Amino acid sequence: MSEVVLPSREAILAKRKLDAGFRSKGITIALLSGVFYGLYTAFLTLGMAKGVWADWYGANTAGLSAFVVTYFLGAVGSAVNDSFSAVWALSLAAARGRLGDFFRCLRTKPGFVMVLAALIGGPLATTAYVVGLQLAGSIVVPISALCPAIGAILGRVLFKQELNARMLLGIAICFLASFMIASTSLGGEAPEGQFLGICIAFLAAVGWGFEGCVCGYGTSMIDSEIAITIRQSTSALSTLFILIPVMALMSGSLDSLALVTQAFTSGDSIHWFVISGLCAYLTFMFWYQGNGMCGAALGMSCNGTFSFWGPFCCWIILGIAFGIDGWSMPPIAWAAAVLMVAGIFTVAMNPLDLFKQKKEV
Amino acid sequence: MKPLNYAMLKYFTQVEDACVDDVMEALKSDYGHFKAFKKDSLTSAIMTAEANGLLAETRFEMSSSNELRVYYCAPEDGAATINQYIKD
Repeated sequence: MSEVVLPSREAILAKRKLDAGFRSKGITIALLSGVFYGLYTAFLTLGMAKGVWADWYGANTAGLSAFVVTYFLGAVGSAVNDSFSAVWALSLAAARGRLGDFFRCLRTKPGFVMVLAALIGGPLATTAYVVGLQLAGSIVVPISALCPAIGAILGRVLFKQELNARMLLGIAICFLASFMIASTSLGGEAPEGQFLGICIAFLAAVGWGFEGCVCGYGTSMIDSEIAITIRQSTSALSTLFILIPVMALMSGSLDSLALVTQAFTSGDSIHWFVISGLCAYLTFMFWYQGNGMCGAALGMSCNGTFSFWGPFCCWIILGIAFGIDGWSMPPIAWAAAVLMVAGIFTVAMNPLDLFKQKKEV
Repeated sequence: MKPLNYAMLKYFTQVEDACVDDVMEALKSDYGHFKAFKKDSLTSAIMTAEANGLLAETRFEMSSSNELRVYYCAPEDGAATINQYIKD
């Protein structure tokens, strides 16, 4: 019979410290992904309000059609942002000695899965969201907040990650909080094709949920800095060379190349895109890393705080720092933020454990 | 040559169990010059793999230099997934 050697008390304490440190780091990273999503939204919105964008969305001296202003410019803004984000990702990967592994990973199965998930969560889900918004109106905004729940369910089905009744309750609380914030943008309109629009927007939520859970799991094989470099490069290239040409074709006689060139060379706005690109790099990297460290249910619930950080950062940066009207913080968002914390807490741990820990001490 | 994280996961499919120091020792000749070849990064990568079921903890102890050593193995399911996605 082999002898069982029990670890010393010192080893048990050190192990507990290591585990607790890893969990806190995972939760902090997942929460930071929500904060940087808010900053990315604010700087992207700022970039798209300056320089040539101010004319396109304002006086429109170029005479752009409603389709171009509604759909095409959104895709161009996304392409400019993602391009800078990809440059940040590639530069930082090079500086931190990850570029070699980036190219090696691209040629492997996990690398291919990352590219596929980035395509689904990037241009495809974003386009579905914009089309849904156009068809059904602002009711699709809260639909998008379903993505953490979808990610958690997919994490359970695809990767056998933990998902119990308590965690589902926490996710439901987070969804309710996101819905409360999004409800401030709901209008009374009920356009024709609303049901189809809601279905398409739901596909966007499925796309984001799929990306979060698959790429989070993927970071158990691929370094998160390499994973995000794959994601941002895929998103930039596919938006620039697939999405924009397709939208240009749909819009008829549009000189898309001229518009894209103007967007990339608009001196008054481009530096804001450089900053938004850095924030996008950080938010998606932390999203993947947090999901990988905490599991999709907790990681995506923490990331879901972007529903609060989005309006908050827009209020601070656009409303207060730049004095742009219409960016005040809706009071309900503060109540929703408190509710969100309760929701994340419920996903993260069983409140009864607190009493158990007290007893142990 | 495989990416560093792939080599690390593959290593666990070839041994009974190992700690981060064992991984570093085994991969030092091929990956020692990598900037990412640091104990903290590799520990974090191992723990992320454990959180996702690719690896499982087997035991832990204090080393003679009073450092915690945690040993992990690739369980059957985890090893199958690693071998399915990462080819030799």
